Amino acid sequence: MTKGWQLTLVLILLGLFALFYQGLWGDPRHIPTVLIGTDAPMVEGPDVETGDMISLEQFKGKVVLLNFWASWCYECKVEHESVLQLHQLFKDDPNFVMLGVNYQDKLPDAQQYLKEYGTTFPHMRDLHGQIAIDYGVYGVPETFVIDQEGKIRYKYVGPVTGHMYTTITQNIIAPLLKDQPINTKS
Amino acid sequence: MRMSIRFTLILLLILTSPWPLLAEVQDETALDIQVREIAKTLRCTVCQTENIWESGAPLAQQMRGVVRERLKLGHSPEDIQEYFLSRYGDYIMMEPPKHGVNWLIWVGPFILLLGGGLLLYKEVNGWVRGTPSPPAAAPPPLDEQARQRLERELES
Repeated sequence: MTKGWQLTLVLILLGLFALFYQGLWGDPRHIPTVLIGTDAPMVEGPDVETGDMISLEQFKGKVVLLNFWASWCYECKVEHESVLQLHQLFKDDPNFVMLGVNYQDKLPDAQQYLKEYGTTFPHMRDLHGQIAIDYGVYGVPETFVIDQEGKIRYKYVGPVTGHMYTTITQNIIAPLLKDQPINTKS
Repeated sequence: MRMSIRFTLILLLILTSPWPLLAEVQDETALDIQVREIAKTLRCTVCQTENIWESGAPLAQQMRGVVRERLKLGHSPEDIQEYFLSRYGDYIMMEPPKHGVNWLIWVGPFILLLGGGLLLYKEVNGWVRGTPSPPAAAPPPLDEQARQRLERELES
């Protein structure tokens, strides 16, 4: 066996080791989602504050930002200000809707959270985890952008802050509202 | 006397019969068994190394609920697995589907074993070849002059 072959073999083995290491210890939240380009599940749930039913169906034809959160989630608190700011930025556009999805939470805790941190958009409760499973959610916070056709165009796992805020507002939502192509590279 | 023997026998029969065992088996319905079998094939996305049957995470519990509900609605196990695959991708399956890059997971360990074995064989073979071999024939006997010199050196 020549040196070249030996080196190739070692590189292949190292590559395989790296793959297995990534598979065993890598964060599944970084796995690319299979949902992009698919129809957004038309979910519904009671409003956290009023108890009235909210259905995604009623917002068909609009750009919808769906943000999964929970009162026990630290990263949700981190992104809360940015999320409110994002709503502030687009709330006057009649083709934009923002919805919070309260995930695995107790109603009094969720209500207290919204009272304490404030909110300017509605939030629906995910009563049995069905909404989260329909959207392939791993944990909170997770944010989805749905286009006017009802297709999932973007998903981000983690707090929408810093450059992610810029990506979602400038590269995703703004172009979608203008019927322009989006840039999913962050 | 005959009555008391009969009573004792009946009592013994009751005490030795496997009632608790039977009760345990009857507790699990056909639906429970189906839920368990499907849940064992799906990965808990929170715990990663556990399936949703074994995991105690709330999301896993809710996923088991979804499996149960869909079975009640008449969905087949394949339909249910397909639903989870459509939401989470191949990662959700405890046993990765055999297609595309997933084949690496199936054949990877064998490649590692064969490649590693080959490298080890080559390395060990190289060591064995590098070791000096023992002399083939016995050394020639010492002549008288050399023997005397050696004796002198050993005595000094």
